[in-house]
Amino acid sequence: MSEALLYLLQQLINGLTIGSTYALIAIGYTMVYGIIGMINFAHGEIYMIGSYISFIVIAGLLGMGMVALPVILLIALIVAVIIASTYGWTVERVAYRPLRGSNRLIPLISAIGMSIFLQNYVVLSQSARDVALPPQISGGWTFGDPQLFEVSLSYMQLLIWVATFVCMTLLTLFISRSRIGRACRACAEDRGMTNLLGIDTDRTIAMTFIIGAALAAVAGLLLGLYYGVVNPFVGFIAGLKAFTAAVLGGIGSIPGAMLGGLILGVTEALTSAYFPSEYKDVVSFGLLVLILLFRPSGLLGKPEVEKV
Amino acid sequence: MKQFSRTLLSVGTALAIMGSAAAVQAETLKIALAGPATGPVAQYGDMQKIGVMMAIEQLNKAGGVNGMELEGVIYDDACDPKQAVAVANKIVNDGIQHVVGHLCSSSTEPAADIYEEEGVLMITAASTSPTITEKGHKLIFRTIGLDSLQGPFAAQYIVNSVKPERMAIIHDKQQYGEGLATAVKNEVEKAGITPVMFEGVTPGDKDFSALVAKLKKENVDFVYYGGYHPELGLILRQSREKGLEAQFMGPEGVGNPDISKIAGEASEGLLVTLPQSFDQDPANQALVEAFKAKGEDPSGPFVFPAYSAVQVMAQAIEGSGSSDPYEMADYIRNNTFETTTGTLDFDDKGDLTEFSFVVYNWHADGTKTPAAQ
Amino acid sequence: MRQNLYSAVFAAGITFVLTCLMIGVKLTSEGTQLKVVSATEAQWGWIFAGIALVFFSQLFRDQISAATAGIPRPKLATLVPEQVRSPKLKPWLLAALVVGLFVWPFMVSRGAVDLATLTLIYVMLGLGLNIVVGLAGLLDLGYVAFYAIGAYSYALLSSYFGLSFWACLPIAAVLAATFGFVLGFPVLRLRGDYLAIVTLGFGEIIRILLNNWTALTGGPNGISGIEKPTLFGLEFSRRASEGHVPFHEFMGIDYSSGHKVIFLYLIAVVLVIWVLFVINRLMRMPLGRAWEALREDEIACRSLGLNRTVIKLTAFTFGASTAGFAGCFFAARQGFISPESFVFIESAIILAIVVLGGMGSQFGVILAAIVMTILPEFAREFSEYRMLLFGLLMVLMMRWRPQGLLPSKRPHMELKR
Repeated sequence: MSEALLYLLQQLINGLTIGSTYALIAIGYTMVYGIIGMINFAHGEIYMIGSYISFIVIAGLLGMGMVALPVILLIALIVAVIIASTYGWTVERVAYRPLRGSNRLIPLISAIGMSIFLQNYVVLSQSARDVALPPQISGGWTFGDPQLFEVSLSYMQLLIWVATFVCMTLLTLFISRSRIGRACRACAEDRGMTNLLGIDTDRTIAMTFIIGAALAAVAGLLLGLYYGVVNPFVGFIAGLKAFTAAVLGGIGSIPGAMLGGLILGVTEALTSAYFPSEYKDVVSFGLLVLILLFRPSGLLGKPEVEKV
Repeated sequence: MKQFSRTLLSVGTALAIMGSAAAVQAETLKIALAGPATGPVAQYGDMQKIGVMMAIEQLNKAGGVNGMELEGVIYDDACDPKQAVAVANKIVNDGIQHVVGHLCSSSTEPAADIYEEEGVLMITAASTSPTITEKGHKLIFRTIGLDSLQGPFAAQYIVNSVKPERMAIIHDKQQYGEGLATAVKNEVEKAGITPVMFEGVTPGDKDFSALVAKLKKENVDFVYYGGYHPELGLILRQSREKGLEAQFMGPEGVGNPDISKIAGEASEGLLVTLPQSFDQDPANQALVEAFKAKGEDPSGPFVFPAYSAVQVMAQAIEGSGSSDPYEMADYIRNNTFETTTGTLDFDDKGDLTEFSFVVYNWHADGTKTPAAQ
Repeated sequence: MRQNLYSAVFAAGITFVLTCLMIGVKLTSEGTQLKVVSATEAQWGWIFAGIALVFFSQLFRDQISAATAGIPRPKLATLVPEQVRSPKLKPWLLAALVVGLFVWPFMVSRGAVDLATLTLIYVMLGLGLNIVVGLAGLLDLGYVAFYAIGAYSYALLSSYFGLSFWACLPIAAVLAATFGFVLGFPVLRLRGDYLAIVTLGFGEIIRILLNNWTALTGGPNGISGIEKPTLFGLEFSRRASEGHVPFHEFMGIDYSSGHKVIFLYLIAVVLVIWVLFVINRLMRMPLGRAWEALREDEIACRSLGLNRTVIKLTAFTFGASTAGFAGCFFAARQGFISPESFVFIESAIILAIVVLGGMGSQFGVILAAIVMTILPEFAREFSEYRMLLFGLLMVLMMRWRPQGLLPSKRPHMELKR
């Protein structure tokens, strides 16, 4: 392979890695939007909290002298998912459920307030500084011609791909096969009708928040390990990106969020590969605006039907 | 919380001293300390704070300045230019006429305009951008060297000692980072080295894998980074993971132990230009002990310049017999000052006439040793 | 009671899960290694106090809600009854208010005037966004982009071409309106939330462009040393620039930096009154009525033959031009602008002002702008808890008064029974 091709391959690997994590966070946005039609701005903060919790657990277990890395990561994953889901549930219960049925701007403002609150809550409880975790999973494969360009795929990147793939498969099965998944879909279709059919819609909505938060916590653990750094402000930036990904793919559609995340990640990587990297955000937001202008409901979204 | 308790501690000490001295001294002179107490570069704000607070404490212990007790008032600008303007206005509103700060050049510059206009004397101990003192301001001084000194100094070292074949320059697009990067670029080009890349990154970004792959593709063997440690730390870490074997170099903005926390092993061997370590100076050992007795770390690059900024203010008040900013400014321009950072002499612009930098080798445990020439 | 006990235990358990690791354990670094330390005993005390509070408030929630039901809720609508009740008094009250606005800065401290000026900027922004969101019902999450355009057009025109504040004020408004028009044209085909998302994207693009176009905008360093407004060529600085006379010399009084602050405040008052006047006229025009009709029912509007694109575009353009005004004044007041001042959270706060004020109600928006700017200043006492409380209050206010502080009342007639 020529140098240019190898370089492109490397950038695609980088793009798919970051795109996978966008997709994981985007699921939370898209599911909540699909079911109650609101943008949950506090979702990025849930991801950030997931990252903090996994750092705390990993550092704690390492400090206790535990050495088996897979066990440590598994415990960190479980604890982070449980606590982040609890945060997701509480946010819904405290800030959104009492507002159901009011003008749709009201929960939006409440979500922004919640986002500010959670960010500062972490600033106060854990300080505003960067917290760094030494690399836990290092090494990887390299291939290509060392004379031209060596492509590297680290174990960490592979772990991110595998974990994202597993989560997505489980989620798809869960939504299409399980009882709760069916209830979720019914709720998204017509909440009033679902209620009449004897399904507790409040509980179903709470469930979507829990699922979204759990996936955000997985992303928090993975990205925390990948970059090794977390601070209370990472949630907002990642949230905005993931939200863009959700819209790109068609908000409300779960496969759309996955596709949107991957497209966004690859676009960013390719932009920084061939242009000055500072313009990558302009390109990704520009792409969003363009897609919405020509396909207003996103790539895989259902077109909105005007109802009288 | 830790910071808060430290603030409490210093306030407590100040109160205790005030209590004992209240019988003889009634008047206090407030000195505002402006810099980041929160945000990603708060550790630099901390360096400035412990330097200033120690100076105030020791001056007060020695009987104050012209019979006045000094008092430090902390203002947090989070290294954000917008907040810096708000803080500057607040300092003016609060009637304080002497400021040590700000820290980040991008905050100092707009704040300096306000101080000049409102008649407030400002000495920065950390902002190194040349443009701050280029506007003909009368009341703006600094006790640290300029990027226009540090950039060429780094460039000289690169040309004479590193001799890179393919050099890249990365910066964070902020005044400080880009200014240094441009200075280095101009200087190495004069010596016949043309950088193969000159590119900006976004502060706060976490993913530099695309940039690292680009550096690798260009076969870069030396990277100069203009900016602060959070971004360089991640770049180093991701370079190590991706197998980029290049020598990195950065300015004093990256030279603090946090870079080793972020980058781990990858920070070993990083080159850093820093002001001479004043804490190694035998003349300052008593002061170093005083810092250590309070549990504070005097090795940061801005601790001693901040201390000497307060010393300059105190000596200017004593020398000119007035705390009027304009009279003090005249005095500062026309005299030399004996401080912990040596004998300071200011030029007409308000900069030091002389300031020396040293290139250090950074180590993975957060320590440094002078680099081989 | 048993039901309450269960939910109390459950809520306490949830609180424990939420706090045990996030507050109870702290990440610190020892050398270059990451370590965890347990919180101090005092902090654990706070955690358990919080858990106990949650437990008992859930356990006795029936009693608590019975007790609070007895407390009458403040009726904010009665704060402005005279206006409605006695139309004769209205012009007098308004006149008194305006005179008061012009006189009070001379009697209070510099800091208070400064804060009032900031509040007036948010009043302007709130009024502008109110046209788009409150009246026309178009959700705009990138409003701050127009604010940025206004600010940068003054800063750039003044630093490159030396244009004065007064010349730039209309230019900034026109430029912002043009951007609103150009953006609005393709975007307004989108409905509902997609519009919100595209405007959010547009807001971010403008900010990132300002951040990266270093040659023109100075990038993240922003533009400093922006000229302050002058009064018929009189400057409010200690020493005037060449060819100008400082105000204090012209008037033969001592220099005081307070003059400038008061002058800026007065400009802001004039601008707000102008904006209010224009919007009030517009609202009574067929156009203004069409905005509200469109908000209420888009399909009905179209079947009545109203051109929805034109109506939406005008709302968007007027909203944008108001933001341009505010931006231009903001740049003049700060003397320094950078892209940091125009981040998404700023859009969110302006939107919060509109929603909190009661959408469509101008009086409500003004009241909300005052609340939202003064509140964080008062909360400075709590220093590090300031933003935490701010976020919490946004959530609580939405629960407490989802309809806004002063919901809008449209002029309407009722048949007597």
